[in-house]
Amino acid sequence: MSAASQQDGEVRVFAQYDRDFSEEADVVVVGSGPAGAVVSYELARAGKSVVLVEEGPPFTPRDFRRDGNISMARTMREGGLRATTGTFMPVMQANCLGGASLINSAICVRPPDFVFDEWSSRFDLEESSRADLDPHFDAVGEFLGVAPTPQNVQGRRNLLFKRGCDAMGYSSEPVERNVRGCRGSGECFTGCRARAKQSMDISYIPEAIRLGARVLTSLQVQRVMSIGRRAWGVEGQVVEPLSGRTSHRFKVNARLVVLAAGCTATPVLLLKSGDLANSSRQVGRNLQFHPGCAVAGVFPEPVNPRFGATQSYHSLHFLREGFKMETMWAAPAALAVRLPGLGHELLDRFSQFGRMAVWDAISSTHQSVGSVRARFDSMDPAMSWRLHPEDAKLMARSIHALAQIFFAAGAEKILPGVHGLPDEMSSSEEAERLLQHPVRPTDLVIASSHVFCTTRMHGDADKGVVDEIGKCHDFENLYIADTGIFPRCPSVNPMFTVMALARRQALAIADRI
Amino acid sequence: MQREVAQLAGCGRRVVGVPVSSRSHCHGAAAVRANSGYAGVVFFLVALIIAGLFLLHRLVRGYPQPRERYVVIGVWDAAFLDAAASTFFPAGGSVPLSGLEADLPGYADRYLASLPSRQRLLIRALFMLFEQSTIVLPARGLGAFRRFSSMTPEQRKVVLRGWAESRFYLRRFAFTALKAVLIMGYFGRPECLQFLEVESFEIETPIARADLLYPPIGQALESIQYAEADLTPPSDGTPVNMAEGIR
Ligand SMILES: Cc1cc2nc3c(=O)[nH]c(=O)nc-3n(C[C@H](O)[C@H](O)[C@H](O)COP(=O)(O)OP(=O)(O)OC[C@H]3O[C@@H](n4cnc5c(N)ncnc54)[C@H](O)[C@@H]3O)c2cc1C
Ligand code: SF4
Repeated sequence: MSAASQQDGEVRVFAQYDRDFSEEADVVVVGSGPAGAVVSYELARAGKSVVLVEEGPPFTPRDFRRDGNISMARTMREGGLRATTGTFMPVMQANCLGGASLINSAICVRPPDFVFDEWSSRFDLEESSRADLDPHFDAVGEFLGVAPTPQNVQGRRNLLFKRGCDAMGYSSEPVERNVRGCRGSGECFTGCRARAKQSMDISYIPEAIRLGARVLTSLQVQRVMSIGRRAWGVEGQVVEPLSGRTSHRFKVNARLVVLAAGCTATPVLLLKSGDLANSSRQVGRNLQFHPGCAVAGVFPEPVNPRFGATQSYHSLHFLREGFKMETMWAAPAALAVRLPGLGHELLDRFSQFGRMAVWDAISSTHQSVGSVRARFDSMDPAMSWRLHPEDAKLMARSIHALAQIFFAAGAEKILPGVHGLPDEMSSSEEAERLLQHPVRPTDLVIASSHVFCTTRMHGDADKGVVDEIGKCHDFENLYIADTGIFPRCPSVNPMFTVMALARRQALAIADRI
Repeated sequence: MQREVAQLAGCGRRVVGVPVSSRSHCHGAAAVRANSGYAGVVFFLVALIIAGLFLLHRLVRGYPQPRERYVVIGVWDAAFLDAAASTFFPAGGSVPLSGLEADLPGYADRYLASLPSRQRLLIRALFMLFEQSTIVLPARGLGAFRRFSSMTPEQRKVVLRGWAESRFYLRRFAFTALKAVLIMGYFGRPECLQFLEVESFEIETPIARADLLYPPIGQALESIQYAEADLTPPSDGTPVNMAEGIR
């Protein structure tokens, strides 16, 4: 019998922890991002007693900061300065209630059939076709109000992208997002003050609490407790928001443990718990990203780029070739870093901001694989990863495609941001140099917020960490739900997929305990 | 025999054919060597002290007093940031706010205070790298080896271009990291954003059900300001720029 109905849902925050403590639950979920939030809600709905443990604090609109740097320092891991070694690449990962959904741009895309077909055939998965997952996509989509971005909040910056794609004959569409009542403020990355974005902290988590879940914030899980093939809980320490100082200890004893701490934190947790669930030696390996690069284009007429939903038009035209193109807006300072030059030249470029649009492409860099290791002195991961030269060429092709769209949309020049090529290009003919120039991995300025595969699912227990449902092969009751379980990068933005997989997992767990 | 003795005397050097009676010479040589050994050590120590003083001077001395008291950054960070800011964002450019007016030391101090200690250290190491690296990566002309903040504006530009356009990826990467911090500070000024017409919109924040659950960061649950009666209708999707009539 579940202990659920006796529990009232609640949130606990840092100010409440004045001593060591322990909790009991049917299920403890670690991490409140899209994966953990969905699992917690579905299990609470199924009548299980759920404790959701999150290291970060809840952010209210009063806590948002519009300054990009300061916002990242507050909401992201390692102050927003986390990066891979090997090929240096900034990697943004959240440290807040709701995980990255608080500071992401709410793009919800279902990967096309071919992605799941590849997953199934290469990783011995039998029930992970798009058709298998569609009911879960539907349910999550309905819960979060996932819908195409309306025309009235697109803004010129996004519509110019459509114009360019139309002129090039590339397919494009308004982005579907988990948003209700978007006002087009373009500030998704620093928190939605309009309360329109349905981030986990204002959608799934409050509903889970209403259904009895206990949400304990500012607690860092440092160890999964286990004996043999059974996990029996987690333990860790209270963490002061923003400063990161640790204090009292806590323990949650549970019949079942779900790790949803994110693709880099979960392997660290397993490794630090005594190399758990690692008979396949795959924990922390196979690290993949969707590295992204951005191109700025300057138009002859005003674009007024600050207006328009953050990322609301995209093109899946080249998805099979390996890249996806999308519009974007971020804190102006973050975009300005992309502009080349120094002194007066740089200031001249700043002054063109009002006529500028910035679009980006994310690539499926399947050949670039890295690893996550645990550091001895903290829970932060050591990530090493190298962009493969072939993948660098793929990214150069994506920049070329963006350049073509810019010129087709009427841009007077683009700033491709590739070392060894001119700072500015003024025609699509000139942009052909992007294809001719032998672009090396280190010539590109890249970043990523899509991280995968460090605890990948595989039908064969020797080749993966979890099975199709996310259960660790080596355990009876230890599950992983975050994007680490993706067997390969999914080619599109991952949040919707991780939520669909999490829902499927939660329904399976609810049947098992 | 004499040879053997001379060798046994342990001078170390071979004293071929020297009579035993000249042992004292051998002692003398040892004494001279000992003296020159002492002299070497003394010389080395003096050189070390001079180098240390030079380094100390180069690292921390001779910086102007900063405009205000900072919590995290020191005088040398402030001098470096002002120098870098005036090179990146000189006065008289197409944006009527100079790097100096933007008070980047003040911004960096606030920003660094919000970072975890390891990252704070890394960013300060980055500033130090640019400030001091002119020892090995000099600019051109007189004073090319001075620290960055003591150089002329032209020399600073040469130094920064060297980083920006380097063949070495890590140098370019370091340049981008520095540029990011400086630009963030520059754009942190409202007048800059207003001039460029990229400031954020005024938005009324609805009071959602979630606002009844969470206190502001660091505060107790009792400080939650809202109750059921305070809830307001959710966003109706009116575009933020309606008032401005720009579509
Ligand atoms: C800036 C940004 C923009 C993005 N935009 C989009 C987008 O528009 N669309 C899209 O599909 N994807 C987007 N992504 C990616 C997407 O948000 C992530 O893939 C998704 O959030 C992953 O969900 P998750 O639950 O696996 O992990 P996360 O969202 O990372 O959540 C993990 C949670 O676990 C917590 N945690 C970590 N370690 C511990 C610990 N030891 N103890 C307790 N708690 C812990 C973290 O604080 C975090 O809250 C974006 C990501 C970022 C960073
Ligand atoms: S664009 Fe603005 S209003 Fe729309 S979801 Fe993002 S932050 Fe909210």
